Amino acid sequence: MTPALLGNLGVTLTLAFSLLGLVLALLAYLQGDARFLKGARRLVLLAFLAALAAFLALEWALLTHDFSLEYVARNHSLNDPLWVTLVTPWAALEGSLLLWGLLQTLYTWMASRRLPDPWRASLILSVLFSIQAFFFAVMATVASPFQTLPNPPADGVGPNPLLQNHWMMAVHPVLMYLGFVGFSVPFAHAVAAMATRRYQTWVEETQWWTLIAWGFLTAGKVAGMWWSYEVLGWGGYWAWDPVENASFLPWLLATAFLHTAYVQRTRGALKLWNFALVTLAFSATLFATFLTRSGVIMSVHAFAEGPVGLVFLFGFLAFFLLGMFLLYRVGQEVQDPVVFRLFSREGALLLGAFFFLGWTLVVLLGTLYPLLVEAVSGAKVSVGAPFFNQVSIPIAIGILLLMGIGPLLPWRRTRPEVFRNLAILLGVLAVGTLMGFLRGYTPGTSLAVGLFAYNLAAILLLVGEEIRGRLRGGLSPWGFWGNRRRVGSLMAHLGVALMAVSIAFSQTYRVEQERTLYRGQAWEVGTVTLRFEGVRALDEGRRFAVEALLPTDRFGEVRPRLHFYPQMNAPLPSPHVVYTLKDDYYFVLMDFDRERGEWASLRVILTPLVLWIWVGGGLMALGTLYILWPASRRQEAKGVSPA
Amino acid sequence: MRFLLLFLTLGLAAWAQEGPPPDLSPEVFRIARELRCPVCQGESTAESNAGVAVEMRRLIAEMLEEGKTREEIKAFFVERYGEWILYEPPRRGLTLWVWVLPVVGIFLLGLGLFAHFRPHKPLPQELLEEAERRLKEPPS
Repeated sequence: MTPALLGNLGVTLTLAFSLLGLVLALLAYLQGDARFLKGARRLVLLAFLAALAAFLALEWALLTHDFSLEYVARNHSLNDPLWVTLVTPWAALEGSLLLWGLLQTLYTWMASRRLPDPWRASLILSVLFSIQAFFFAVMATVASPFQTLPNPPADGVGPNPLLQNHWMMAVHPVLMYLGFVGFSVPFAHAVAAMATRRYQTWVEETQWWTLIAWGFLTAGKVAGMWWSYEVLGWGGYWAWDPVENASFLPWLLATAFLHTAYVQRTRGALKLWNFALVTLAFSATLFATFLTRSGVIMSVHAFAEGPVGLVFLFGFLAFFLLGMFLLYRVGQEVQDPVVFRLFSREGALLLGAFFFLGWTLVVLLGTLYPLLVEAVSGAKVSVGAPFFNQVSIPIAIGILLLMGIGPLLPWRRTRPEVFRNLAILLGVLAVGTLMGFLRGYTPGTSLAVGLFAYNLAAILLLVGEEIRGRLRGGLSPWGFWGNRRRVGSLMAHLGVALMAVSIAFSQTYRVEQERTLYRGQAWEVGTVTLRFEGVRALDEGRRFAVEALLPTDRFGEVRPRLHFYPQMNAPLPSPHVVYTLKDDYYFVLMDFDRERGEWASLRVILTPLVLWIWVGGGLMALGTLYILWPASRRQEAKGVSPA
Repeated sequence: MRFLLLFLTLGLAAWAQEGPPPDLSPEVFRIARELRCPVCQGESTAESNAGVAVEMRRLIAEMLEEGKTREEIKAFFVERYGEWILYEPPRRGLTLWVWVLPVVGIFLLGLGLFAHFRPHKPLPQELLEEAERRLKEPPS
């Protein structure tokens, strides 16, 4: 047995099990025979195990340096440290498809353990099996991770240096895939619900899955921002790069879905919308893969290209059209019985969804525009960060405003105390903004301060109302913590508000400068004084490192580095970041005197409040986790509101 | 000597050094962030370390020294590379639409939403009568 044999066997078997499962599940639906369904359910675990075998085969090949595999020869070298070897499966296209496929079989298996009635169950399994079959068919044909080489080299080139520079690379892609793949389960439930005309219950049944997928996607995006900040050496965390945009689209659609699903759960409205949003969110994950893997757009993320893009375009179209076809029928049959008033919870949630959809539209347009112009007229145009920032700011302000008042609005109609709350909130907004102005901030950042205060006040008002309600009902005020949905969503909202204000400050007050220092020379930047003491070279086996020695008066010695990889002809800066509660100090070694080490060229970037972006992202993930954490019976009972 | 050895091993000796790079003020980076690096994939001139980007930063610093304004400097690069070099698409010609379309799109989306969710007319009389009639019938 060789890794290639085991891997090919695993991929082929997963494909076979998935196709067989698809046939059985469809038969179960068409014939109404439970025996077929039973058979299909048995195949779920088998497909997962076969996919796991294929994945382990790739790890095996990497760990044993089996360079007869093309993937290993291209992305691995003898010098790689163990942790880099272990994460190399997702360092390039074929391996990351395998990871994606493995996670898909895992989700299918988990989803198969809690299925609704046999009719929908057979359709849910059909959809999940066909997604799975799609991924493994791609791996069996155009993008095989187990392609062998006739003349294996003695050593490989190793993974892209950018990918082996930081441990975050072990985390970010896996989180992203867990998020992307997660949307296949709500999508499968939605398709089954549409086909069997059970339009209401599926949102309740898939709530757990939606939150899981959204939570992973959020964590994945934040991890990616952090990676970009720590590794790329440019001191930023979001560049509106096409690949970032492509994966931002599913996140935006999923966030909209999360909120409108709540309206359907509570009031039975927005059925058509929810079907549409979940179809779009799932299709967007495939579309993102098409955009990023086809080479049609230029991006710093273009680590992997190939014929796979086109296949994904077809996959995207197939699932998208399936969803749209069913949606058309739902649209004919369902009419929302609810009257939407703007000043009601459902009105605010709908408006929020509108903002998220609008944002999706804007980002999609901006990303595809250069492509469209070039296809139509051959001219080259750039649409970059300044464009995306300008169009996103008004939308973000709208979302932040809604986020505060929305949860305070009652369902159906307005109560008089809502206007009192609104007056308080607007007062806080005005005072916060004014305080910002008085401290000399720009109008934009002053507004961001105001919006943060406004959201904080909204959360306090909401918690106050909840606790007062409990006390009136003779309950312990601490029972509030048992209301997981409420507390978790407030945590996530607080995270968003915190992130928004930190982004406003870090974008506005970022200062970046570069200086050449001679040995012994000092430089005062911000509130820190650093001195250049010389450079030191280190041989780290797979790379050479040169670090500048910079003792400072505040944080001890900082040592930004330049890394020289044999597979790259330009050095890769590895910055030294000092996080403080207020400003981040970001030191980059740009260049140095290669003859005598007499001088070094240093870039220092001062960015305020960056730390709080990570804290905000953490709060969003923690809030999701808090909602999902299995509650004990007693806590569940406490969570029930007295009303 | 150690360094020389290091770079010979790496075959990087060709990476010629012309002496220490100039100091760059924060303003240089503010301008560079609005320009695309001509040879990189989706990076701005401020971020990239490609030779062209380094050279462009140096040029920006020199022009600032000479007292040129931000607009003049950007115009210089537009003349050299075309409007493609600007990360903020100009609001005219081919790239006007990228500014107009989002506004139009969001407006249409809002209009569609409003039309869809505007309070419905009451149910037609015959449907209400039908419902009344069914309620009175004994369950079959």
